[in-house]
Amino acid sequence: MDRAEPLRHDGADMAASHRPSSIAWLIAPAGLLFVLFFALPFGVMAVMSVFSANPVNNPDAFLTTRHYMRFIEDSAGIFHDALWETLRIGLITTLVSLLIGYPLAHWMARMQSRLGHVLVLMAVIAPLLTGIVVRTFAWMTILQDKGVINTTLLSWGLISKPLPLMYNEFGTVVALVHIYVPFMVLTLTGVIGRIDERLEQAARSLGAGRLRAFAEVTLPLSLPGILAGSLLVFALSISAYVTPSLMGGTDVLTLPMLIAQQVGTSFNPNFAGALGMILLLVSLAIVLAYNRILARLTGEQELA
Amino acid sequence: MTTSVAAAAPAVNRVPFDLGRVLYVGLNIVLLTFLVAPIAIVLVFAFNPTPYISFPPVGVTLRWFDKFFANPDFMNSLGLSLWIAACVLVLAVLIGGACALALARGNLPGRTVLTAVFMSPLMLPAILTGLALFQSYLLAGIGRPVWGLIMAHTLIAVPYVLRTTLAVLHNFDRRIEEAAAVLGASPARVFFEITLPLIRPGVFAGGVFAFIVSFDQFPVSLFLVVPKRETLPVVLFNYMKFDLDGAIAAASMVSILLALAVVLTLERLIGLKAYVKL
Repeated sequence: MDRAEPLRHDGADMAASHRPSSIAWLIAPAGLLFVLFFALPFGVMAVMSVFSANPVNNPDAFLTTRHYMRFIEDSAGIFHDALWETLRIGLITTLVSLLIGYPLAHWMARMQSRLGHVLVLMAVIAPLLTGIVVRTFAWMTILQDKGVINTTLLSWGLISKPLPLMYNEFGTVVALVHIYVPFMVLTLTGVIGRIDERLEQAARSLGAGRLRAFAEVTLPLSLPGILAGSLLVFALSISAYVTPSLMGGTDVLTLPMLIAQQVGTSFNPNFAGALGMILLLVSLAIVLAYNRILARLTGEQELA
Repeated sequence: MTTSVAAAAPAVNRVPFDLGRVLYVGLNIVLLTFLVAPIAIVLVFAFNPTPYISFPPVGVTLRWFDKFFANPDFMNSLGLSLWIAACVLVLAVLIGGACALALARGNLPGRTVLTAVFMSPLMLPAILTGLALFQSYLLAGIGRPVWGLIMAHTLIAVPYVLRTTLAVLHNFDRRIEEAAAVLGASPARVFFEITLPLIRPGVFAGGVFAFIVSFDQFPVSLFLVVPKRETLPVVLFNYMKFDLDGAIAAASMVSILLALAVVLTLERLIGLKAYVKL
């Protein structure tokens, strides 16, 4: 690099390449949108969460930590359960999505036929083109007592009464996996596709079996993709609201559902803000942790 | 399954029957069915005449489509959703496309950090973005205007345009631009005649995503809509809490067809390659 650079550029060019050019101004609209409708609102949420009421139109509003204390003390015994339930559903959804997404992504990345590739890609993208509400509805028609699975099993005489497939954690996770697995597949396909297939072939020609070549060559090289995809699916599923509230019945209460209750029925935006900050901290911690692991992994790979 | 694959593994070179291969493809076909079947089932229920969702279907009817199209609540919300999605498409393409150009060509310091910052609305829970905006609008005392909802959707849609456009810009041979400049083209002419046509597929693909993300958006809209002026997903959600009949299936089919129409229209304009590059 040191040798090539002086040949390619003269001094003026070098200086210019380190200064932002006029094209850099094109970032302004996005920057404005980001500050006004993202950074500032999250600041507002943080402020709201430490006030007793709306500080703008209520002169009696005072600074308080009581919303956070209410969550920490949890006298009704629901808040901690909701947090745990949210994380558990997120974790199970992520693991199942990985187990389902990996084979599909591997198949797609290694497919020789272009037509086959496009068809599988369309099948993976098709669920993304239908909204969360529609896909949750689809699973309700499949899993409810009079749904596709229970009716079929009943008519075959395999069961005598409908299986409880919905209005519980199971139904919630099934629908969430279906909704978020395309994100896992698309993330993994990109990473697996970039792994040189000849590495695996070399391992095979040196005597490794198909499974061993996969487990010792392709799988470790696709680890950044696994982590990135898992991060995405986890972040999406802990913030899910539609699916747990329609599929979870009375069994499931997650943090997003609590927040919606506070805004909609209790109209306590300040406590909703505190709950929002807690969910935000959890997701930020996970995002940062995964990013760390990701950076270290790619760093190690570059060294190797 | 694991053991049988291992057993089949030693015979590598084009054996007539390859058990591992068959299991691999079979497993993937099962997984693909899991992805696609639920959507196909919705379409079945849209034509099934029984008053509640039941299986197997007993006939073919269009009454659910009548019910959907005759209901003013559904129609108003469909119109509102389409209008918002169209605005979001235009705004996200302009803002996201400009931002991608600035990031790829602007020689900005800290480009990776900036890109991560602009992608972050996708990483943080969308329901929190909705909550934060709800509280900001409350504090600002502006109520819950439609433009506030449009801006909220645009914020979530811009990262999609950014991602698809940056992907195209990365695979793009800058020497084409340099050649045009050397041959005497002004920077503006290089931009309009070289750069813009070459990044168009990425920008359009991002636009498709922006439209769909907005049209199907629920978590961001939840706290930002007011009664009697709700988007289609919110109306469907409220309906589903009490009623689970074919009208929802018909509405689902209409929104699937609309999304498909958008994709196919843009596909005619730009080709399928844009998605593959994702």
